[in-house]
Amino acid sequence: MTATKNRLIAAGLAASLVAGMATVAAAGEIRVGITMRMISENGQKYGQMVMDEIDMINKAGGINGNTINATLLNDECKSDKGVANATKLIFQEKVHLLIGSTCSSVSLPIVDVTAKAEVPQIIPHSTNAKITQKGSAWVFRVPVSGRYYAGVNAKYVGENIGKKIAYLCAADAASQNDCEAMQSQMKSQHGVEPAYAAQVQEKEVDFRTHMQKIKTANVDGIMIAALAETMARALTQSYEAGIPASVRRIGSSSASNSPVPSIAGDAAKGVFFAAAYAAADRRPIARLFNEMVRKRYNINAPDHDFSQAYDLIRIVELALGRADLKLDSGSLAADRTAIRDAIASVENYQGLASGPISFCAAPTPQCRDGNRTAVLIAYTKGGENYVTEVLARVTMPADFGL
Amino acid sequence: MDFDFSSLFAFILFGLTIGVVYGIVALGISLIYSGLDIVHFAHGEIYMFGAFFGLVFSEQVGVPYPLALLSAMICAGVLGIVIERVFYRRLTRAGGGYTVAGMGMIICGFGMSVVLQNIAFLIWGADAEPFHVDLGEPYQFGDISLPKSYALTAVMALFLMAALHFFLVRTKLGLAVRAVAHNKDIAFLMGINVPLMISLIFGLACALAAAAGTLIGPMQSVQVEMGYLMLMKAFAAAVVGGFGSLPGAIVGGLLVGIFENLGAAYISPSHKDIYAFLLLILVLMIKPSGLFGVEARVKA
Amino acid sequence: MTVATAIVRPFTQAVGKLSAVHRLAPWLLVYLLLLPLPYVLSGLFNDYYVYLANRICIFILLTVGLNIVKGFCGQVTIGHVGLYAIGAVSSALVSLHLGAPFWVSFPIGVLVAGVAGIIVGLPSVRLEGAYLALATLGLGESVRIMIAVTPLFGSSTGLIGIPTPEIGGFVFDSFERYYYLLITATMIGIYLSFSILRSATGRAFMAIREDTIAASVHGINVPQYKLLAFVISALYAGAAGALFAHMPPGYIHHNNFTIIEMVTLLLMVVLGGIGHIWGGVIGAIIVTIIYDQTLEFYFYQPLLFGLSMVILVMFMPRGIGGVIDRYFVTRRFIGAREGKTDGAP
Repeated sequence: MTATKNRLIAAGLAASLVAGMATVAAAGEIRVGITMRMISENGQKYGQMVMDEIDMINKAGGINGNTINATLLNDECKSDKGVANATKLIFQEKVHLLIGSTCSSVSLPIVDVTAKAEVPQIIPHSTNAKITQKGSAWVFRVPVSGRYYAGVNAKYVGENIGKKIAYLCAADAASQNDCEAMQSQMKSQHGVEPAYAAQVQEKEVDFRTHMQKIKTANVDGIMIAALAETMARALTQSYEAGIPASVRRIGSSSASNSPVPSIAGDAAKGVFFAAAYAAADRRPIARLFNEMVRKRYNINAPDHDFSQAYDLIRIVELALGRADLKLDSGSLAADRTAIRDAIASVENYQGLASGPISFCAAPTPQCRDGNRTAVLIAYTKGGENYVTEVLARVTMPADFGL
Repeated sequence: MDFDFSSLFAFILFGLTIGVVYGIVALGISLIYSGLDIVHFAHGEIYMFGAFFGLVFSEQVGVPYPLALLSAMICAGVLGIVIERVFYRRLTRAGGGYTVAGMGMIICGFGMSVVLQNIAFLIWGADAEPFHVDLGEPYQFGDISLPKSYALTAVMALFLMAALHFFLVRTKLGLAVRAVAHNKDIAFLMGINVPLMISLIFGLACALAAAAGTLIGPMQSVQVEMGYLMLMKAFAAAVVGGFGSLPGAIVGGLLVGIFENLGAAYISPSHKDIYAFLLLILVLMIKPSGLFGVEARVKA
Repeated sequence: MTVATAIVRPFTQAVGKLSAVHRLAPWLLVYLLLLPLPYVLSGLFNDYYVYLANRICIFILLTVGLNIVKGFCGQVTIGHVGLYAIGAVSSALVSLHLGAPFWVSFPIGVLVAGVAGIIVGLPSVRLEGAYLALATLGLGESVRIMIAVTPLFGSSTGLIGIPTPEIGGFVFDSFERYYYLLITATMIGIYLSFSILRSATGRAFMAIREDTIAASVHGINVPQYKLLAFVISALYAGAAGALFAHMPPGYIHHNNFTIIEMVTLLLMVVLGGIGHIWGGVIGAIIVTIIYDQTLEFYFYQPLLFGLSMVILVMFMPRGIGGVIDRYFVTRRFIGAREGKTDGAP
């Protein structure tokens, strides 16, 4: 009986050997590993955009003559798969730089993996504040941390909407974080407790009970923190329940994702939220970007997932250009350190994000949450061809909300 | 603070309107169990496919909503028959329930559910699709507003149940189905085409799931992942009502709907999905035969 | 067949000889042979394979436990991941909040899972077949939702920074080091499952699986043994969960314990062979390797796994273990016949 097991192990080893042989490192090639949630349509499209942008860099001659070799894996927003992907990319593909993940609950454990393996990690869009608070010297965050969004939102809400706010928070990492930060900001800035607060399931479909309660609570605004599709359902049902449009709907940062207006339709009108990028941005770089995304991926108005992924690639390109890379078989550790230091030296990068992105060397949230500018955006028209407008643009101090 | 009876009424109403949808799916599950003696774990995915069929007929083909509902039911029924004929027949022939084949059927159902979900994902993608059906302004009962689609769902549920009851009790074909459900060997000796009846049972159950999917689509939008939770709730409904009992399925559905809405309203909204399981486990531990007292079958 | 026989026979003979010395001898030998595996793997390939080996060990603990209740006692449970989650969360909480070392939190995690197993098992005494499947499915999902919505259990952020085990200054903080812990636990787990199944208890389980009424007529206390099977499998799941929680990077999240994980476990058990003593082990190894090799075809992976489950159940219900069993049975018959024609005793 034991023999059978041995044979199977041998077979397994042989199978892995074949796989191991296939990935022999080539010189003059910067290896980049990407792990992302590739299950939603948006996720697939900006995953594609990242790969396309890398292809374009390579076609234009690469970086200092070196080409980028990118491997993209799907983590389905599951932490164990994310860790497996990161381990595979770091040890098997021997990447110089890890990009990922898009989900906070996946980025959180990966930060420990990259810190231990000493691989620079740059995050395209996980907003959970704890990611950079772990004190890893190897992690950089391109998106705006949740703590900044809440500050901007709370300020605007308290001054323009009112102080009686109801909260509906879905149980996913980003939304919960947004919701809690918002509540504590409302308390510290305006000294108010939530008028109604309820946590709902991550993929809740029926909000009528809450809407009925909120209706009787007579509030000034409803904060709905949830992933795009859940939020869209909640928005639609809030109107079905008869809550008037005069009660403003406040979204969490995922309200910027296109399923919200396209599923919620008219119910999306008037929803405002803090995000990192607005398609209504008038700067030439933003217009060019919108045009490019529209043409290549058939997306009417790119949300901040796209802009952040694009900014990330530009920052990576910039940093890789600055780093002094040897790229031979023995220089992996040195190259990884060089790339880390190069990313940390990026200062006042002006891209699609509404404000400058700066990193610095210290392993603190102040240094590693590079983007500190949140934009307040409102939908003025829902549906497939939705329209947004920018309400305000605020750059927060680096240690805000810590 | 006074107890707010108008809110309580609203919560019960919400529970009832979502409960009938659970009931329709549970009806299909119960039908399969009473007829074939198996639990169909891929039924949630049939429900999801049904919703997508309805969406395709309504938005892309452009037929009116009632016709889309009917077409979705037919398509899902055919899909169910094909799946049963190609995959399940081999296993069900060996017997269901508490047999090694019964365990095989459970595993096979899980595998089929993964396959169906992946196929739907490859066709329609993972994003939720909006299902626009304009039925007009919601009804208003004082402070409570009830969207018309919920009312339509309730009416449809009653209609489907009545139609199923009529079919089973008043028609000759229905009699044959009941005979097959009762005992396949004797039914065969009586000259009933047993394989055909099994296909019919399966097709009917799948059509019911599709009806539920198309009815709920406009309210909750249609998504690849929608099947699993519905399956759990429908299981709970079927067990609470008495597994295998058809009126029990609808009553169980209503009970699960009310129970989870009251739980969400008065205990804790974040545990909403647990209440259905709680009810299921309680019923199983106290009275496994369910409210409608179907003999819990044990085959040793 | 003859080639296979030529390969297998020396092994079986060697195992036979070793068992003659002491029944633990072959186990110890295999354990010693498997100990340096991380160095072989990281030397030949890289650390990622050590990580995979660790994953395999955890899956083996889970499937071996599942096989006891499912394959040997014939009870259809789909709540195994729930018990796994309970073990993981309780061990993590004890070490995070009470500051207890791994050696205290691990047994607590296992015990809590065992107690949960009793609670899950109680309905199993009364319920059968489909009902039991539904009850356990509900329980498994309830556990996940409880974790997902309760801040104490990690909720959406998950439990971060679960400490790694340590013994006398030796910290199990890398994949290689953690492997020692896992392989030890796994070997003990497999050995225990062997000794349970070859004991009177194991025979009682199988009797219940084959014919419950006949078993009870023969004086087997059916409810008691059913509960026992449940609790044993819960202990395995709890151990796997606790080991998973403390594995670097020490992070657990409720979406590690979804129905997809349960389906993967089912696939492992079915592929390896329900009721085959090595079934879970074979399945866990093969499925993990296939999973890794198909990582880049992520859109089609569920299709592959789901379809293979359906096809396995249809055409190979006893899995790979069944094929091996049949081979050995055939060998025995052939051996017996040859023995007769040769005139040897």
